[in-house]
Amino acid sequence: MEIKIMKNILDRNQNRADEVRALLKDKNVVMVNIISSPGAGKTTLLERTCGELKEKLRLGVIEGDITTDRDAQRLKKYNIPIVVINTEGGCHLDSHSISKVLGSFDLDNLDMLFVENVGNLICPSQFDLGETFKLAVISTTEGDDKPAKYPMLFREARAVILNKIDLLPYTNFSFESFRRDLRKINPSVPLFSLSCTRGDGLDEWFEWIIDQSHK
Amino acid sequence: MHELKIAEDLKDIVLEAASKGNLKKVTRVNVTFGQMVQIVPEIFQFAFTECVRDTSAEGAEVTIEIVPVKMTCNECGTEFIVKDNMFACHKCGSADLKIINGRELFVKSIEGE
Ligand SMILES: Nc1nc2c(ncn2[C@@H]2O[C@H](COP(=O)(O)OP(=O)(O)OP(=O)(O)O)[C@@H](O)[C@H]2O)c(=O)[nH]1
Ligand SMILES: [Mg+2]
Ligand SMILES: [Zn+2]
Repeated sequence: MEIKIMKNILDRNQNRADEVRALLKDKNVVMVNIISSPGAGKTTLLERTCGELKEKLRLGVIEGDITTDRDAQRLKKYNIPIVVINTEGGCHLDSHSISKVLGSFDLDNLDMLFVENVGNLICPSQFDLGETFKLAVISTTEGDDKPAKYPMLFREARAVILNKIDLLPYTNFSFESFRRDLRKINPSVPLFSLSCTRGDGLDEWFEWIIDQSHK
Repeated sequence: MHELKIAEDLKDIVLEAASKGNLKKVTRVNVTFGQMVQIVPEIFQFAFTECVRDTSAEGAEVTIEIVPVKMTCNECGTEFIVKDNMFACHKCGSADLKIINGRELFVKSIEGE
């Protein structure tokens, strides 16, 4: 006997994500879901960005971390609300865990909420958190083939950051080949080439991200 | 391993449908996955088998249909299959596209007795 079901498997995650999105829209909070491989520089980017933006916008951070709170510790100095979600081995955040911690933020007094997802390029891309947009971060030491290998993330990201450009001379990363692949997948996505440690490209990035809170 | 979380959610749906439909044993689960979602069928079957151990769906086989990425052009209305990660309209070259297929994580039916 066959029983028809005809249902999206991730309906539960999607429904909760829709609720989160509606709530944040109502509260005028922009939520940025930051996705990258382990070590691409998400936390360093957040350190830089929070340092620059905290006088201009009311910020909050959700740190997705498999078991520790090390990334959150690095952001403490900015004196902004931070909540850690330990995924206990899970390779991505989901909308239920986000929904649960939203209550810890004073949403009426928040402009932008950064979510550092667990380091991974594929799993986090599948799970809608209710974010306003996804931000893809890759670094020059990972190889220039990432857009071609993970098209979904680069297709759906509202912006792409190429980090660690200070290391370009020491890698075989081809910026041309990276850009060509990225443009095939997502011709119009803004691309920021940064060195979060040395500071290259940051001003342009700050301008863009501040602009997102006024939309 | 996003396969694992998806397999867990699928298990809940399958077991609920089985109990509603009075199936004592689920032998097959028919699903459709979009190519863009990058599910590896062998890993998915493995993850699902682990999830349904000691349930009425123990040992059930997952039949996975992979659907290619299909877009429609917002400029000229052309529909086309995306090959080689080339997200531009085959007719007019526009990049203003809407996805029709390729992102599915869909369960069609279960079989059993
Ligand atoms: N050379 C160089 N190193 C960088 C740059 N940005 C970050 N790093 C270094 O890269 C390492 C990883 O950076 P993190 O910011 O912790 O990376 P992450 O993406 O948050 O890592 P996970 O949270 O573990 O996934 C650290 O040692 C950083 O100092 C950069 O622009 N240039
Ligand atoms: Mg980090
Ligand atoms: Zn067209």
